[in-house]
Amino acid sequence: MSRDTKFVHLAWQRDEKALANVRYLMGSDPTGAACHAYNVLDEATGLALRGTYIISPQGVLLNSEMNFYNLGRNIDELIRKIRANILLAGSPAEAVPAQWKRKGDVTLKPSIKMVGRVAEAMKKK
Amino acid sequence: MSECCGSLRVGQKAPDFLLETFDPAKQVFGEVSLKKLMAAKKWTVLFFYPADFTFV
Repeated sequence: MSRDTKFVHLAWQRDEKALANVRYLMGSDPTGAACHAYNVLDEATGLALRGTYIISPQGVLLNSEMNFYNLGRNIDELIRKIRANILLAGSPAEAVPAQWKRKGDVTLKPSIKMVGRVAEAMKKK
Repeated sequence: MSECCGSLRVGQKAPDFLLETFDPAKQVFGEVSLKKLMAAKKWTVLFFYPADFTFV
């Protein structure tokens, strides 16, 4: 989403070959109200910064990332976070460690036994 | 959306939004809100960028 209108979204999606396979909704925020609410509005330019948020079906904000204008995002990392959130939603006692990539990779169950023993826990599986 | 600023944190309730949309899959205009997405039990990714016709 950006502050462009839905008409510009349509024109861009039809014009730009890189967007030919885009299937998600392109949101329009011409007033900047949503940009403001999500803290991505750059007051100096009126434009939205490259902010990314993941929200659960219950409406809880789970992840937040912000890049400046000149740095694009890593979609693999976004997909990793979505996968992790879905897994965690079904297993609230688990934690997804650093470098986790997909279902089947080792997850951790934080407990008193694991204090100082994360390396051993990461080797299980 | 009027509750103000800088209080956005992970683990908290996400602010609601209501946006006009273009749906490239169906090539139609529409509307989306967080309420509607929640009612449909969907996960939501909000992906902000500065402007159309720029790189993302």
